[in-house]
Amino acid sequence: MPVDGKEAGPASQTILVVGGGIAGISAALEAAETGHDVVLLEKGPSLGGRVSKLNRYFPKLCHPTCGLEINYQRIRKNPRLKVLTMCEPTNVAGSRGAFTVTVKRHPRFVNEKCTSCGDCAAATETMVPNPFNYGLDKVKAAYLPNEHAMPMRYVIAPEAIAEGEGDKLKAACKYGAVEPEQQEETFDLNVGAIIWATGWQPYDPNNLDVYSYSHSPDIITNVEMERLAAHDGPTQGKIVRPSNGEPAKKVALIQCAGSRDNNHLAYCSRICCLGSLKHAAYVREQYADAEVDIYYIDIRAHDKLESFYQKVKADPQVRFVKSKPGHIRVGEDGRPFIHGERTIDREVYDEPYDLIVLATGMQPSAVAGYTPQVGLVKDDYGFVVPKELEDNEGIFSCGVAAGPLDVSLSVQSATAAALKAVQAVRQSA
Amino acid sequence: MTAPLPNPGKKYDLDFARWVYDNVNGGDKMALCMQCGVCSGSCPIGTNMDHGPRKLFMMIRAGMQEAVMTSNTPANCTSCYRCVVRCPRSVPVTYILQDLLAKQAELGYRAKDSNENIAFAKSFWWSARAFGRTDERLVTAKYYWSFGPAEFWKRSMENLKIALGFIKKGRMHIGMPHSVKDKKGLKAILDKAREIESRG
Repeated sequence: MPVDGKEAGPASQTILVVGGGIAGISAALEAAETGHDVVLLEKGPSLGGRVSKLNRYFPKLCHPTCGLEINYQRIRKNPRLKVLTMCEPTNVAGSRGAFTVTVKRHPRFVNEKCTSCGDCAAATETMVPNPFNYGLDKVKAAYLPNEHAMPMRYVIAPEAIAEGEGDKLKAACKYGAVEPEQQEETFDLNVGAIIWATGWQPYDPNNLDVYSYSHSPDIITNVEMERLAAHDGPTQGKIVRPSNGEPAKKVALIQCAGSRDNNHLAYCSRICCLGSLKHAAYVREQYADAEVDIYYIDIRAHDKLESFYQKVKADPQVRFVKSKPGHIRVGEDGRPFIHGERTIDREVYDEPYDLIVLATGMQPSAVAGYTPQVGLVKDDYGFVVPKELEDNEGIFSCGVAAGPLDVSLSVQSATAAALKAVQAVRQSA
Repeated sequence: MTAPLPNPGKKYDLDFARWVYDNVNGGDKMALCMQCGVCSGSCPIGTNMDHGPRKLFMMIRAGMQEAVMTSNTPANCTSCYRCVVRCPRSVPVTYILQDLLAKQAELGYRAKDSNENIAFAKSFWWSARAFGRTDERLVTAKYYWSFGPAEFWKRSMENLKIALGFIKKGRMHIGMPHSVKDKKGLKAILDKAREIESRG
């Protein structure tokens, strides 16, 4: 089959979606439900992406199982949608109607016979940092990615195989689901259009050296705060100081930690202000005597959620401090101190806190991730610029791969991308 | 948090801000300032300044010419560049303050509480011009002397112990001040520089 698209050949009507987060799932489902064959690639062991790692999410502050479960049911019911986990593209060649995508599949060491009974987890002694909790705790090297994983299947970390536990785990599984002999493999997919939904990664807080992230366990990021507040997180939902496990009753939330900064991310990540307002609500729900200070440049309560900002603002125990802090240092009592200037009254402060949450921004995964050969155009910040239909390229992007979007905007952009992809493969037929 | 309410009826004179944008080194970049406060919050001697860079920039925008040109904020800047490094909008805060200080002097303004700064600068340049070196004993002595004999005696006695400590550790030499070889040549260079500068 010609892959350069110049020779005549049967055009593929299949749509490939790269990334199984909320945007990728939405785009894949919307395209599949119009009757097109769709392949959804996910690098990790489970779908759900960043949304599955939230405690609650906007607009209605639902638990992520809520929105994701509906989508998982749609996936199960749709025979046209094929989900491939542990897979990532390594190369793209060809053009609209005739792309050849080389896919690398990482070994899961567990096949589809898995009933998620947990016998392998009981048998293993190796522990690995829990990727679902951003490494805040450790998990058995044979583990369920999370409690609402899709597919509901265990995964074995390569560390356990390297420790020589493969045969032991194989023997422990009474369904023959463990396959320690699995190797990394590559295969090609022929598709007609590609939607990039590769999402984002939290901006590395170690780059913000003045905020001393690596100097104290009590300085965490906003994504880690979500895990701390989640019932399936490292603390079973108790917001405590990671250093000593005591309740975190004086909490600072620092906005624009990296975002809107020429030295880091020059753009506004858009989600962090509401995210931090939500974190203030988490803390206040848990402790009646808690105090929360939000350090901000200006609050950008995006979308229709100004009302949530007003609600949090009405709480007298939540203080809004208009200031971008200069730096954080760790005091002699081990508590982190924030130093800066309150811009309203020009007072210089040096305040100790139990817990400091850095609202780090979103960086597109495509920055460090995929480098396909054709079609992918990135802007100055690493976001994938979608090739519009008039370019006839058949390559689209949605979700945070396309720009800093919240969940509802990601889903909207996913639906738009699905429609464009459908039009692209129809035109090439 | 007591932010004064905006007064829509108030008229701001933009002439001064425009003059700063056009005439002060780095002033054009000042327009990018978003008043986040990281400069004043990072400043190691920010509490010694009457306003701090963030507020000073806002005062420039508000047309407060007299207050800005008599502010001690530019004179107190030690050029540590922390604000420049941390500024999220890449505003060259230090350059702006340095040039504002020069403009204050050029236009005959005198920053309040700036007597000490001026006295020190004069002592420093006297030594630099005379020897091509700064002799810390002579600079200090001349600086103290500029506040009168009583103050000279008081401050010298306060620092005597430190000076003796320096001498003991070999950190301060005793004897004639160090000097460059070609003092005449140095003076010629400085005079030429002054002449070029006065041409404008």
